[in-house]
Amino acid sequence: MGDAAFADNPTPVSRRRLPSAARSDRRFKWLLVTPAILVILAISIYPLVFSIWVLFVNYDFQIPGHAYVGLKNFRQVIFDPVARYSLLVTVCLTATNVLIEFLLGLAIALAMTKTFRGRGIIISIIIVPLFISPVIVGQAWALLLQRPFGPTNYLLGQLLGQEVTISWLTQWPWNFVALVLADVWQWTPFMFVILLAGLTAIPPHVYEAAELDGVGTWQTFWHITMPYLAPMIALAVTFRLLDSIRLFDTIFIMTGGGPGTQTYTVSYYLYTIGFTQFHLSRATAGAWIFLILTLIVVVFLVRRLLKQEES
Amino acid sequence: MNDRERRDFEAGLAREVDSWLRGEPTRRDFIKRFGQATGMLALSGAVLPPFARSALAQSKMQLEDPNTPLGKAQAAALKASTEGPTDGSAYRAVEAAKQYSGVNLNMTYEAGLQALDPRNFSGPLWQDLTGIKSTVVELPPPDMYSKPISEHIAGSSAYDVLDLQPQWTPALADGGVIAPLDDYIAKYMNMADLEDYHPLYKALPTYKGKIWGFFDDGDMFALYYRKDIFEDPKLNEAYQAKFNKKLEVPKTWEDYAQVAQFITDQMAPNVYGAGHFRKAASPGNQFDFMQQFRANGGRFFDENMKADLANEIGVRTLENMKAANAASIPGNNELDAVSLWAAWLQGKIAMMYSWPPTGRMSAGYSQSDKAISFIPQSSIAGKVGYAIVPGGHPEHAFGFNKALAADSENPEAAYLFMQWACSPPVSLARCMLPYALRDPYRISHFKSELYGELFPSAPEYLANLNNSANVGLLDPIMPGAQDYQLSLDRMATSVWAGADPMEALKTAEAEWNATTENLGVDSQKAFYEEFLKLPGATPDNTVEKLGMAVQL
Repeated sequence: MGDAAFADNPTPVSRRRLPSAARSDRRFKWLLVTPAILVILAISIYPLVFSIWVLFVNYDFQIPGHAYVGLKNFRQVIFDPVARYSLLVTVCLTATNVLIEFLLGLAIALAMTKTFRGRGIIISIIIVPLFISPVIVGQAWALLLQRPFGPTNYLLGQLLGQEVTISWLTQWPWNFVALVLADVWQWTPFMFVILLAGLTAIPPHVYEAAELDGVGTWQTFWHITMPYLAPMIALAVTFRLLDSIRLFDTIFIMTGGGPGTQTYTVSYYLYTIGFTQFHLSRATAGAWIFLILTLIVVVFLVRRLLKQEES
Repeated sequence: MNDRERRDFEAGLAREVDSWLRGEPTRRDFIKRFGQATGMLALSGAVLPPFARSALAQSKMQLEDPNTPLGKAQAAALKASTEGPTDGSAYRAVEAAKQYSGVNLNMTYEAGLQALDPRNFSGPLWQDLTGIKSTVVELPPPDMYSKPISEHIAGSSAYDVLDLQPQWTPALADGGVIAPLDDYIAKYMNMADLEDYHPLYKALPTYKGKIWGFFDDGDMFALYYRKDIFEDPKLNEAYQAKFNKKLEVPKTWEDYAQVAQFITDQMAPNVYGAGHFRKAASPGNQFDFMQQFRANGGRFFDENMKADLANEIGVRTLENMKAANAASIPGNNELDAVSLWAAWLQGKIAMMYSWPPTGRMSAGYSQSDKAISFIPQSSIAGKVGYAIVPGGHPEHAFGFNKALAADSENPEAAYLFMQWACSPPVSLARCMLPYALRDPYRISHFKSELYGELFPSAPEYLANLNNSANVGLLDPIMPGAQDYQLSLDRMATSVWAGADPMEALKTAEAEWNATTENLGVDSQKAFYEEFLKLPGATPDNTVEKLGMAVQL
């Protein structure tokens, strides 16, 4: 009876009750989110808007006042050969790092899909570098590679049977090899973890069907594993690309951007003009240019991800 | 309560009860917990400060055994502060500062060893004497410049006493970040104490006719060499046979490279002729280039304020530095100051030039404190000689001024601390701390018998630092100094990596000109001309050339 009575006329009750409760709820929700909005406005939106003003004025600790300078800050960055070179270094290092990390991560993930004794311990050891601060990673690799105290050259010499005198931190191309080595050591486990998750999610019956049909190992990998794994690959590569283009810590510790400006990345370049030379308006202009370039990459990658999701 | 209100109430109550039964937090929960949190916060306002104060409070004062030279110096500092002479700067500062008992001074110091002095010695002692507390804010070198400016722009009054590099004085004085001290000096200081500064350092805090701080760290480069190697008869014989001259401590940079190469050829891999801090972005290359370039006759700018680096003198300087690198310990170009010390203290290097702590570490004195245990014990104590660097004009690299923050809420108390800390007896005790990196800078430091007792060769060490200051050269003190020096570091490290010296010099020259134009050619020219008036600005204008040399 009751049900029927409510079913007969449910809306008038709701209409009568909702307005006061809804108003109260709405106010309460606003009350709850207001502190968060204020914090975001204060520490994120305000600096962003402030930085737009800084772009067009002189904001340099060594030059009094904040005179309007138009596009001068942008021009100084765009026409600075060090800025252009650091962008090139960033692109090359990022591409190399991510490619090697992907290939190694995939190889290790494939090796770890099968269960065997000690697998858990090995996986635990493999992912340890992920928990280490990049500054510590850079310091550790610098200590390993630095002449004359680092043991690397000595060990290589023992292996090769002749003296090895590589200056890993100051001699091209070995300084880049050292930077890639440190990055790959730390971030391959990230690729490995994500790809392993993707591999274990592939339904076993697909492999069983392929086996029954007599499909070879390579074809199985290429036509089953890779298509199933593609979304995870895209995700892992996207994350790593976005992280790798900010490369700073290991450069700061291992090479100091040198020799000359040989190992300057964009982040290191911006740090130098902002916090070594204190040309804050020029550093801000550089940061905005870099942000826009990064956004292009981000939009491209996100579209690819969404496309894969749709398909 | 009418029907509608009752239904609303019951519906609301039902929702609350249902949520509670499901274990969900309800609005009531939220308000209750928010109230609890606010109450806790209010309560913590009263309870936490004592804990916070305790955590931030100065360490307990570390005083040495009064029978040791350092203990005696500390006792003398204490006596000068409490008993006088009553016209001494230390005594006057303490007496005047007692009226500010209870206030707290925030003081910036370079992070690490430099900050141990105010934490372990001068800060607690000052508190005992005056009741003025202090909080040490440790900052890495770039932040020692940028943070005071940021806080000044924000008007936060965050700092009272600032440790600053002399090269920053013009920018910070013009920017209103630091305040002049002249009125306070006239009121409180014994003027004789100003005359106790070595002439090279006395003028460093002076800008536009006013005094903007007290110089407080004599960062003079000097040559440290292994006496046992230079006195080795077989080595001397071989050198004589090869070069037809006596093996002696080099006086020119060409000789330096030649001697280093000879020692390396004779003694490697046990000992190498030299070692240098050549790592990119690690202070070293720029100072080394500036001292050699100027000693070779180079000038930084021409009459029109155009950079004057890319010339025969610049090439000669870089070529000679390259020759010295080639004669050095393997990995020379990757070393920073600390790793160079490690190689030196282990006896792997026959010559090096560096900052004054090198002498104290070589004697094993610094390592007597556990704070400095990150460098090896000295295996060369008693074997080290001291000399002025080749070329005869060592660089005064960095150094520190103590300056008064213009926004300080307790400017007089801050000033009085600075006067006291830099007064002759107190600054001597601070410079003698084994863990501190403060280096002698007063004439009374160089003449100090107590300092001379710290280790057997301390008198020669002090005499060499004094003699080096007599002929030493200053880093350019002008806006853009960081930019100019960064360009030199990039130039030098690119040459170490194989770049053509002239091309590298041209790149640096272009960067210098861009910096000058950015900052304003006329204003930079005025700053540079002001700098050139300082004793030690050029080899023709050293303390010695001006007839002001200090003879011990």
